[in-house]
Amino acid sequence: MLRWLAKRIIAAALVVFVVTTLVFVVTHIFTDPATVSLPLEATEEHRANRRAVLGLDRPLSVQYWDFVSGLVVGDLGESFWQSQPASKLVFQRLPATLKLVGGATVVTVLLAAPMGMLAAWWERRFADHAVLGFSMVSISAPPFWIGYLLIIVFAVQLGWVPTFGSSGFVSLILPSVAIGLASAGRLAQMTRRGIVEELRKPYAVTAMSRGFSRSYTIVHHTFRNVASGFVTMTGWELTRMFTGYTVVIEVVFAWPGVGRLAIHAIENRDLVLVQAAVVVLATLVVVTNLLVDVARRLIDPRVDLA
Amino acid sequence: MTVTENPMGPAADGGAGDAAPPENATVMADLRSHLRKSKAGISGLIICTLFALVAILGPWLPFIKDPAQQSLPDKLTPPIGWGGAWSHPLGTDQLGRDILARLIDGARISLLVSLAAVIIAAVLGTALGLIAGYIGGKIDTLIISAADVQMAFPGVLAGLILVAAFGPSVWLVIVVIAISSWMVFTRVGRGLVFTLKTSLYVEASELAGASSRRIMWRHLLPNLVSSLITLSVLELAAAILSESAFAFLGFGVQPPRSSWGLMIQEGRNYITDGWWIVTFAGMAIAIVVLGVNLLSLWLQSFNDVAEREQIILERPGA
Repeated sequence: MLRWLAKRIIAAALVVFVVTTLVFVVTHIFTDPATVSLPLEATEEHRANRRAVLGLDRPLSVQYWDFVSGLVVGDLGESFWQSQPASKLVFQRLPATLKLVGGATVVTVLLAAPMGMLAAWWERRFADHAVLGFSMVSISAPPFWIGYLLIIVFAVQLGWVPTFGSSGFVSLILPSVAIGLASAGRLAQMTRRGIVEELRKPYAVTAMSRGFSRSYTIVHHTFRNVASGFVTMTGWELTRMFTGYTVVIEVVFAWPGVGRLAIHAIENRDLVLVQAAVVVLATLVVVTNLLVDVARRLIDPRVDLA
Repeated sequence: MTVTENPMGPAADGGAGDAAPPENATVMADLRSHLRKSKAGISGLIICTLFALVAILGPWLPFIKDPAQQSLPDKLTPPIGWGGAWSHPLGTDQLGRDILARLIDGARISLLVSLAAVIIAAVLGTALGLIAGYIGGKIDTLIISAADVQMAFPGVLAGLILVAAFGPSVWLVIVVIAISSWMVFTRVGRGLVFTLKTSLYVEASELAGASSRRIMWRHLLPNLVSSLITLSVLELAAAILSESAFAFLGFGVQPPRSSWGLMIQEGRNYITDGWWIVTFAGMAIAIVVLGVNLLSLWLQSFNDVAEREQIILERPGA
């Protein structure tokens, strides 16, 4: 296990390294933070000046070494727009994003597990079709649109929750639901399929023939065996949330997270800050994948994850 | 479940020797009878055809207004049923432009961008998958590692950094969606090639001295087509959603051109006195993606021979 873990951590670190290098290539070879930060009509002299200020006139190899050694100690450069260390700005916003992803995960699991079990319990009956219908609609609707619909209904019409911003637990509900619905839809179908397959296996048939009800067998026997897949899928959904959903949902709900920071940084032509946000989010994705693999291995040691 | 797990399509029944492929006519008849049994397939097909027709015919449709024509006295007219009139069936936006006309206009950009991105991803990804699977060795390691890195570096992040570097444009969105999807085709294509590679007909043509290129192009690729089409449809649904998200964030088309995501962005400041802008634009996205998803569900069940037999067995005479 330890050897496997060490190997897995090294592989994850390599992926982070490659991703950050790719980011560096885009932000320093194809263009550079000075050019991006200046308006189009800036003169060549302006540009040269700003390059010198930002240290972009040094050889690329030196800049790259600076970039990589900075990453190791958590230095992601200086934000041009805010004149503060980019890492400080990103890490200030990180808790809000993590809270949102946490809330969305709770919504996902609380919806998906029971729906999957219900659909499997009443296989090919009304509940099964209803869950399938929910899944199809939830994965087809754009999350940001769901966000606005929730705002229109629950904040504007009914006035139950605040429309925007992050003010305590209540304001977390709508954005979490907006992100979690699609994930719940996918996960519910996966759970249903897993349980239906398991129910046909001899151990489940035996359990039911010994007089256990179908529901008891689902909850106590088969769900444990789909748990490994459930955790993996939840992990994948987490990575989707970190990268795609949170960015748009943070914009919709004016949520003070990393995604919205990145969008504001783009609007303010602050390439260094965008780069910092992207590097942090990509690292989160890699770490999540790693944790999922570890969790899977702990739940089901038979899983061979080479 | 996922496409990766079933070596589908002709490969499944044509695996033994160089058997003649089933005649096109029988395949089509098979497809039709299967479609008749699948409500999901029919609804998906109808939705997709309808949206495709509307997107293509857009400006030539009768009774449709000019999507760019502003009329401030008519601004924020509600849709029919909420006090609107037939002159603007789905109401107007903050500048008095007709929502229906803008939806139809937006369909073009939204669907064209997603389609282009999926085609690029499919061609590139399949080519890499064929090479990785058939040639193997170091090239395979390289390609599959690149695919793994791509998995960890999803499209939106790449989109953020590219937009920050180069500014927003439609082409950029196409590229970003394509690079966030190619590895799916590579992985599936590679997996299928692994199973096909050892089949008799491939070995036979290798012995006959056929070049790698010929084997990949003439023998392997045709057997991947049905699975890859299924996969493309699935990816198209994801691409339409991504396109709408990018347009919503302002990364894609710029006003005065319109796309569904952009309409939501423009309408979001009016959700209190013009809820219909955001609602209808999002509904258009949701319906077309639902159609594509239903189509993909049906294609998957059709490709998955076991499930197809089950459907036929369980509903005799349906």
